[in-house]
Amino acid sequence: MFPLFKPAGDSALAVIFGDEIDEGINEKVHAVARAMEKASPEWLIEVVPTYTSLYIYYDPLRISYSEVAGAVGPFLGTKPEKGKRRVVKIPVAYGGDFGPDIGFVAEYNGLSVDEVIEIHSKPLYRVYMLGFLPGFAYLGGMDERIATPRLEKPRLKVPAGSVGIAGKQTGWYAIESPGGWRLIGRTPLKTFDPLKTPPSIVTPGDYVKFVPIGEEEFREIYEGNRGKEDD
Amino acid sequence: MIELLSVPSLTTVQDSGRRGYQRFGVPVGGVMDEVSARLANYLVGNDDKAPLLEFALKGPTLRFNASAVFAVGGDAEVRLNGVEISPWRSYWAKRGDVLEIGILKSGFYGYVAFAGGIKCEPILGSCSTYLRANFGKALKAGEGLKLGYAILTGKAGKELPEEFIPVYAEESEIRVIPGPQEDHFTKKGIETFLNSTYEVTPESDRMGYRLEGPEIEHSEKGAEVITDAVPPGAVQVPKNGKPIIMLADGQTTGGYPKIGVVARVDIPKVAQTRPGGRLRFKAVSVEEAQERLRKREKIMEAIKGFIRGEMKAYRLKVGERVVAFTKVEKR
Repeated sequence: MFPLFKPAGDSALAVIFGDEIDEGINEKVHAVARAMEKASPEWLIEVVPTYTSLYIYYDPLRISYSEVAGAVGPFLGTKPEKGKRRVVKIPVAYGGDFGPDIGFVAEYNGLSVDEVIEIHSKPLYRVYMLGFLPGFAYLGGMDERIATPRLEKPRLKVPAGSVGIAGKQTGWYAIESPGGWRLIGRTPLKTFDPLKTPPSIVTPGDYVKFVPIGEEEFREIYEGNRGKEDD
Repeated sequence: MIELLSVPSLTTVQDSGRRGYQRFGVPVGGVMDEVSARLANYLVGNDDKAPLLEFALKGPTLRFNASAVFAVGGDAEVRLNGVEISPWRSYWAKRGDVLEIGILKSGFYGYVAFAGGIKCEPILGSCSTYLRANFGKALKAGEGLKLGYAILTGKAGKELPEEFIPVYAEESEIRVIPGPQEDHFTKKGIETFLNSTYEVTPESDRMGYRLEGPEIEHSEKGAEVITDAVPPGAVQVPKNGKPIIMLADGQTTGGYPKIGVVARVDIPKVAQTRPGGRLRFKAVSVEEAQERLRKREKIMEAIKGFIRGEMKAYRLKVGERVVAFTKVEKR
């Protein structure tokens, strides 16, 4: 039954690869997304990969829905490239003014603050998708031992770079915004910069590793505003 | 350069939007009503993509600090140095002239286009103001805007044929392509959606319009989906059963099921429905929506050609409507 094709209006085709949050399904979504971008047919406007679906935005003045559906067919067999994963290291200064809720997260889960940091910075998180607000990453793989409910009353202003936990999710605020996540730290990196190409430090399909740093290192990176990336 | 003297409502610089960044969470953005904005741009000799001013309900007052050619798009009373002039027509303004735009008599968004467009530093390839991410800003009185270079000769005095002046209704029928999550609704829920009249609420902005009306029933699959892409025009139905239509600044992804997506040809009609206005929905096939879009684009091309003097419009006696355009023969 999967993949399933559905029109999402007159300018987008939704290709649905599954109905659960699953790394294998998401890898497939990204593999097809990358292949389509690489081929970049003239009618293609953009692709938006999500957890389980790939939205293909096309120009209906150049191609009809049924022609798009036909043209997408050959890409569906694209296999995820094994062993080729980009890991983006995100330095995080945990606690203090950077992460005012880390004490609550620790207490709520019966852990020490150091344990929260260790548990949070250990996994390799998968970037399932980006959306909601510019640069907002949906990460998968947080340890349930540090899961914590959102604030009852969201903050009006969360600084850009704040790293937080909401239920079983973790991630960072790429731009300053209101927000209800429990803030546990902050990254000095500019995770979203519209003047750069691509504008976001992570791309869907990447992996993220949080690296604990001290306050001094935070200032150093913040002022130098340098990125840390490697394969 | 133009200087804003008073800005009574949200006024921003917009263009045709950003393409290619939705996967980074950046909305398409751009003008709310592409038809009105494009027509205003055509009248001053610009192409579809030129940045222009967009205002909501009440227009700004501005002064020209250099001569310029402009056109106002929208159903408003317009004055140049206190003398009433027409919208949907391009005028020459000289240094010191003051343009006043009143309250829109119908519709929600109005436009002011200038020959050469408004100069701006594009962000991700577009001058669209997107306030939530601080791309551009809400304009305030006292601010100056630079215009792009344009040869002004021959650009003033262009008029839109009356038949093509947009009409903004208080109640509209909106074509919707069903899906892609219609299985999250009961048959009864879909019937409610298609057979009811919904009112645009005051909690409506560039991001989306929230509608009030009969509650749409979800199926046993429920009112949440795994976070999925949200195209412009998507009609999302959260748990309370009240539809929300996502528009220019709509978020790129979301977790509410989509009962349908508004046909692109009808997005301007939605955008121009002000709070208190009413919408009814009609299901159409993707093929029909695309066919209508192609037809509309043919007409838009013809209007552009007509304003540029490359096309002639023929007015038939029947109902006095323009029904044909032909190319002007070059000698």
